[in-house]
Amino acid sequence: MDVDLIFKVAAIGILVAILHALLDQAGRKEAALMTTIVGLIVILLMVAREIVRLFDSIRSMFRI
Amino acid sequence: MQLALKVIGSAMVVLSSGLLGYLYAIDCKKRPQELRALQGLLQMFETEITYASSTLVEAFEKISGNSRYSAAALFKSASEILKNDSSVGAREAWERAVKSNARQMGLDSEDENILFSFGKMLGSSDLEGQVKNIRLLINQLKIQEARAEEKRKQNERMYKTLGLLGGLAIVIVLL
Repeated sequence: MDVDLIFKVAAIGILVAILHALLDQAGRKEAALMTTIVGLIVILLMVAREIVRLFDSIRSMFRI
Repeated sequence: MQLALKVIGSAMVVLSSGLLGYLYAIDCKKRPQELRALQGLLQMFETEITYASSTLVEAFEKISGNSRYSAAALFKSASEILKNDSSVGAREAWERAVKSNARQMGLDSEDENILFSFGKMLGSSDLEGQVKNIRLLINQLKIQEARAEEKRKQNERMYKTLGLLGGLAIVIVLL
């Protein structure tokens, strides 16, 4: 597995945190919440494949 | 080769989105400025019709040369409409001028409505009524200006940072 993915997730996490703080300070709580949710979805989409692989390997490990 | 392409592409994305945010910030700054300029021009307009007792077209033309903001263009186009087309009244000319200039001045619909209601009274009463109308408009614009200023404080920095960070986010996702 490539380490790039971890860095990407970390970078997006930092960006989303900054954006959330910024929008919160500007008094746009809904927009801040929205960016957080969008960030979450984007990261989930990115790691979905890896999660599927994890499940597959666990399944093959226990033969179920 | 591929790396260079990536770097150039991401730089372009960040730059353009940053610029977009910057443009929004400038738009934010424009509205209070224009509202302030408009108040000054209206003061001049009041003086013009009370002491110089000039006609609407003359007064509009005179004050439109006195400001570098787009607010002056509003009076300019109103006077031009009045001059070129003798069938339109003061109210309609004013409304048309407001409609064609509102976007450039960064006004929102609330400001527009206030200006429209000013146009309704424009040129339809005696001098005292006109002066009262102008004062009313100036007071309303003052309130709008305070609101716009508050909005600007909140939004200006946010738009700038948002543009830049949004560009960075896009680059990271695409990378």
